[in-house]
Amino acid sequence: MDSDPGPLPPGDGPSNPNANPRPDPEPKPQEYTEEGRLSSLTLEDSGNAAGARAAASNGSLSADFYSGDEIEEEEPAAASDSVDEVQRAAGEARASSSHGGVAWRGNLEEDGDAPPSPSSSGYAGERGSSGESGIEEDDASVSWRKRKKHFFVLSHSGKPIYSRYGDEHKLAGFSATLQAIISFVENSGDRIKFVRAGNHQVAFLVKGPIYLVCISCTEEPYGALRGQLELIYGQMLLILTKSVNRCFEKNPKFDMTTLLGGTDAVFSSLIHSFGWNPATFLHAYTCLPLAYATRLAAAAILQDVADSGVLFAILMCKHKVVSLVGAQKASLHPDDMLLLANFILSSESFRTSESFSPICLPRYNAMAFLYAYVHFLDEDTYLILLTTSSDAFYHLKDCRIRIEAVLVKSNVLCEAQRSMVDGGLCVEDLPVDSSIRSGSLSPHLGLDKTAVGSLSSRLGTGGPAGLWHFIYKSVYLDQYVSSEFSAPINNSNQQKRLYRAYQKLYASMHDKGTGPNKTQFRRDENYVLLCWITQDFELYAAFDPLADKV
Amino acid sequence: MATFGNNNLSAKLVLLGDMGAGKSSLVLRFVKGQFLEFQESTIGAAFFSQTLAVSDATVKFEIWDTAGQERYHSLAPMYYRGAAAAIIVYDITSTDSFERAKKWVQELQKQGNPNMVTALAGNKCDLEDKRKVTTEEARAYAEENGLFFMETSAKTAINVNDLFYEIARRLPRAQPAQQPAGMVLADRPVDRSRASACCS
Repeated sequence: MDSDPGPLPPGDGPSNPNANPRPDPEPKPQEYTEEGRLSSLTLEDSGNAAGARAAASNGSLSADFYSGDEIEEEEPAAASDSVDEVQRAAGEARASSSHGGVAWRGNLEEDGDAPPSPSSSGYAGERGSSGESGIEEDDASVSWRKRKKHFFVLSHSGKPIYSRYGDEHKLAGFSATLQAIISFVENSGDRIKFVRAGNHQVAFLVKGPIYLVCISCTEEPYGALRGQLELIYGQMLLILTKSVNRCFEKNPKFDMTTLLGGTDAVFSSLIHSFGWNPATFLHAYTCLPLAYATRLAAAAILQDVADSGVLFAILMCKHKVVSLVGAQKASLHPDDMLLLANFILSSESFRTSESFSPICLPRYNAMAFLYAYVHFLDEDTYLILLTTSSDAFYHLKDCRIRIEAVLVKSNVLCEAQRSMVDGGLCVEDLPVDSSIRSGSLSPHLGLDKTAVGSLSSRLGTGGPAGLWHFIYKSVYLDQYVSSEFSAPINNSNQQKRLYRAYQKLYASMHDKGTGPNKTQFRRDENYVLLCWITQDFELYAAFDPLADKV
Repeated sequence: MATFGNNNLSAKLVLLGDMGAGKSSLVLRFVKGQFLEFQESTIGAAFFSQTLAVSDATVKFEIWDTAGQERYHSLAPMYYRGAAAAIIVYDITSTDSFERAKKWVQELQKQGNPNMVTALAGNKCDLEDKRKVTTEEARAYAEENGLFFMETSAKTAINVNDLFYEIARRLPRAQPAQQPAGMVLADRPVDRSRASACCS
């Protein structure tokens, strides 16, 4: 795995036109930075009403682009054109590779002699044919190009495998473009990881014959995007195992889409969880809060079953673990749990009946299938029994009957339901040390007591010292706890924004280039963020933006 | 494998067929009396059981509703191994699904239990105006291959219960005197597939 992301470009370009890093003469992974000005981009099909609207709003793009609430499913504010940008990126990649890093830049309108890009001829004629929407859209549709975050999976021969938006088969030309970019750089003994094109970032991940690409204008760091691509790849392995590579060895033009039939919901649910589930970047799982005795009762019966030849017995409530037991020496990676829970929760089929399905845990053994017995005990709570034996169904069914009887008898299911309703930790419930509060908050804010009073009544919320939210991860346990969201972070867009801010923190703290960091204090217009990492735990906290360093 | 116990018979039944042919819909109609216009894809295989009273005996079906996606194809033997009965489902509005059904028939003839009661179900027969596979064609194919044939509609419930009842009625007759030891019928299915290709 190529885990060295190299230095990231410092923010956006227009103010810094010379930021283009000169590629090293040595063939080591590098990125290509593109400084083109997005505001100069106009869509060629401006005769189309939607296109004209999009072009008209270009001018205000950079100003209010990221401060606005982001709803990816809705008509986004961005009116930029990712197709053009990728084409430009392609030209960029070519320019900087073949001419020793002299980046082509400029805007498309003025620069009629733009360097040829591998795909431009394929698309220029198609642009007028937009007007489709929803899953019918393709790379010619305005709506498709305005999506904020695209994910693509393609084969090394350029065949589309998955696309978040639009029909994969209609995106064959676009996939070929992406493939051309990747192989162009590979041909020079190099590897492409990241392209910045105006507001858009293009992250690449190559996994043998399978290429994964993310094109986004969400300003997430490269490390976060790559982590998301890794998870998408893992989800694919969970469904197919890594032996799918053999199909490509036999036939490089193998079409993998048929093998993934009926799994769109699994991938869209995973991609959605990048915006709300901290497990996707923390690489840890979270537990359902339960009384010690209750969890002990659940663990005891699961342990009993695990001793009878079950590899893993997992009791979960939605995305939270109630109890988890593994056979001797078997350990479950948190990413595998995330992918398994996502697979089960996003497939309605598991809820209709008990089921027995082959699944692969990529971190446990990417080459082989395990067999998963899955049964929903109630609306949210489900039992997963994993085994290596394909004819263990009746044994696992018996195990489930025993487990269910014990869980009902010891009230675990009721307690779990109650815990789901009650929710997790709340920052308001944290004990307030009044001496610390008055000693730290108000003097630093330079406010007198009445001002603090009015401030907190205006916000009406928050825990001690202006704490709004926190996540605590135990490194040793691979587990995290996170406080429930409460006002003022009370809608999903604000939550997503906070998670993205945490992700940025996480990426900067774990960046190998800058060494292991211990604490970080960061302030922006939305909050004060604190991160503290030791070898035992990681703490991420968001405070009122007026809070100060203590 | 179907097993007797007094007048009670327990039988493993497997549903095979192309994705979207209506396997899950048939089972849900039979077991729960439900029909969903947008039935989600099955993952792996779902297990159901349902008991039927047939004349003097009761038959407890242990039903494996398998996923039709190609990726699960190689894992199908895990589900049809030891089955006493199989329903191969196709969609009468799709010739592809009928071709897929023929492949399943061949596979079962090669790999399956020779005493298995095999039914061919042409599902979605309420969509007469979109029909692509004629009743005659399917019936001829079924007779040629010793299958029992019915056109069904999980949506309107036409013939769904009849299909399972008919399988239950045929089961005791198909019950072997002893466990069959994996007989391989190597040549005949190939001839049959050629013959059927001419007709279609």
